[in-house]
Amino acid sequence: MALQGISVVELSGLAPGPFCAMVLADFGARVVRVDRPGSRYDVSRLGRGKRSLVLDLKQPRGAAVLRRLCERSDVLLEPFRRGVMEKLQLGPEILQRENPRLIYARLSGFGQSGSFSRLAGHDINYLALSGVLSKIGRSGENPYAPLNLLADFAGGGLMCALGIIMALFDRTRTGKGQVIDANMVEGAAYLSSFLWKTQKSSLWEAPRGQNMLDGGAPFYTTYRTADGEFMAVGAIEPQFYELLIKGLGELILLKIQQETVSCQARQTLLSVKQWPSLQPKSWGFVWL
Amino acid sequence: MALQGISVVELSGLAPGPFCAMVLADFGARVVRVDRPGSRYDVSRLGRGKRSLVLDLKQPRGAAVLRRLCERSDVLLEPFRRGVMEKLQLGPEILQRENPRLIYARLSGFGQSGSFSRLAGHDINYLALSGVLSKIGRSGENPYAPLNLLADFAGGGLMCALGIIMALFDRTRTGKGQVIDANMVEGAAYLSSFLWKTQKSSLWEAPRGQNMLDGGAPFYTTYRTADGEFMAVGAIEPQFYELLIKGLGLKSDELPNQMSMDDWPEMKKKFADVFAKKTKAEWCQIFDGADACVTPVLTLEEVVHHDHHKERGSFITSEEQDVSPRPAPLLLNTPAIPSFKRDPFVGEHTEEILEEFGFSREEIYQLNSDKIIESNKVKASL
Repeated sequence: MALQGISVVELSGLAPGPFCAMVLADFGARVVRVDRPGSRYDVSRLGRGKRSLVLDLKQPRGAAVLRRLCERSDVLLEPFRRGVMEKLQLGPEILQRENPRLIYARLSGFGQSGSFSRLAGHDINYLALSGVLSKIGRSGENPYAPLNLLADFAGGGLMCALGIIMALFDRTRTGKGQVIDANMVEGAAYLSSFLWKTQKSSLWEAPRGQNMLDGGAPFYTTYRTADGEFMAVGAIEPQFYELLIKGLGELILLKIQQETVSCQARQTLLSVKQWPSLQPKSWGFVWL
Repeated sequence: MALQGISVVELSGLAPGPFCAMVLADFGARVVRVDRPGSRYDVSRLGRGKRSLVLDLKQPRGAAVLRRLCERSDVLLEPFRRGVMEKLQLGPEILQRENPRLIYARLSGFGQSGSFSRLAGHDINYLALSGVLSKIGRSGENPYAPLNLLADFAGGGLMCALGIIMALFDRTRTGKGQVIDANMVEGAAYLSSFLWKTQKSSLWEAPRGQNMLDGGAPFYTTYRTADGEFMAVGAIEPQFYELLIKGLGLKSDELPNQMSMDDWPEMKKKFADVFAKKTKAEWCQIFDGADACVTPVLTLEEVVHHDHHKERGSFITSEEQDVSPRPAPLLLNTPAIPSFKRDPFVGEHTEEILEEFGFSREEIYQLNSDKIIESNKVKASL
């Protein structure tokens, strides 16, 4: 496996860290998860492929045990807020002095610096601060966070895993480890670079929820079926849209013909101003 | 930079491929994007740090040019449906025979096999097929895809980049490249493993939109402020919830238990009424610096002006004054150095790239006059 022979020490935390370490374990790394005394089970249930060791890091002798583990490990993954590891005498300067090859991965919400770096938060807060949350949500409703997928997992755990593998790759050339500041605010933003890059384009011209990709378009959304289930429609290109229309059957063609000449229908249907009149209310009953 | 010396050939496509290649470019790889003849500009605008070459892959001589580029490259990234590359005589067996170190990354929607593998689709379709879309959306509404972030970018481009770097790492030991089947359906699902792993737990007991993390809880959602802006609340733990209540000017003994799900709809209304009385700025004054897990919902424009981002330099401004997120994560020794220059024009570097790859001036001239390649240098200098 790609990460055969790589050893990881994961300091137990919620969602993002466990997911990151699980990815490493899945691809072959040997992962040791350090759990706190008194913790009863793994809340995030992302312990696949790991082994667990309970260690009291707050005790100097406990911290000393961790330092010994890190001397012989490739990666340390810590999920705490800024300053916590330093307070335990387990900061990067100390651990990397003992093991210059150590990759010290710090996966936090707000990062290792900045005015919010000592505050508590969760996925929705990181997503909010990143700017990304402001673009997600239906028209007329408040912004909506898609569970904890974008900040905890995509911008957090996965982004951190990417950084760790890059550091491992870099180490094959330099022989040295490094510190990684992986935080969910910046991770969620970077993941969503497309939003900033297309901000000036027509893609986001309308208010939130009325654009093509955020719920405004009749051909890019979900519809309820007769049995209370759902179908997803993503027919953007004209040739796919044609097939969508065809698949929806005669009723729709009738409706289009009633509204306009059929050869103009495509133009009309693709015109943003027409979308609201073609939304679920008019189409919802038609599904095969 | 971490990927210094790595060369990538990206076959142009929409969103996922360009993002994947941009990540590689940001972290130091030399990325050549192969554009189709006739394409006018990069729709996805994710061309940062790349160079562009226009090549007609449908012509056998065009495919031959690509094979020569791949002989001297580390990574090929192709975004097509199953079978397309094979039809062009550019499948992995051919390209890896000529260069066994080549990492052949295939980033598609449905994957290189399976009953849907020859079909067209977009993010929402991949997300739907992954199972993940069914969990996202407010109570009483249809499932809602969060733009094209989860399948195109997270489960697609980013997941593929992870695979490419893993293959590069593996190659330092084996000396060999490999084929990567990165597809958005599986990528979105794997990213969301947590949902399957916690399915039997109380986290998802209620119908969609009525659970703690999907919009049901009054302490894990967004609220509208007096000035039509929004605040995000994520106060799950009791100690943070206490601070939330305090900041809202409410009294916990007058309120139902935090985890009493039956009371959540009422509590949401109560909190909404309170939030609606002050502006976003006023709420920030109250909650900034507190552990109440209450943060402003910043817009794409506001982020650059926020203290936390200013202090960290989280956003970068290009030479053309365009703002975008700084590459993540931060590698302290070998940080990403994203290009500040404008994105390449289509075909801007065709000749320069071919020369670098050992094509003679005569060959380039011939390819150009036979319309196998296009060079748009002239446009670029306007």
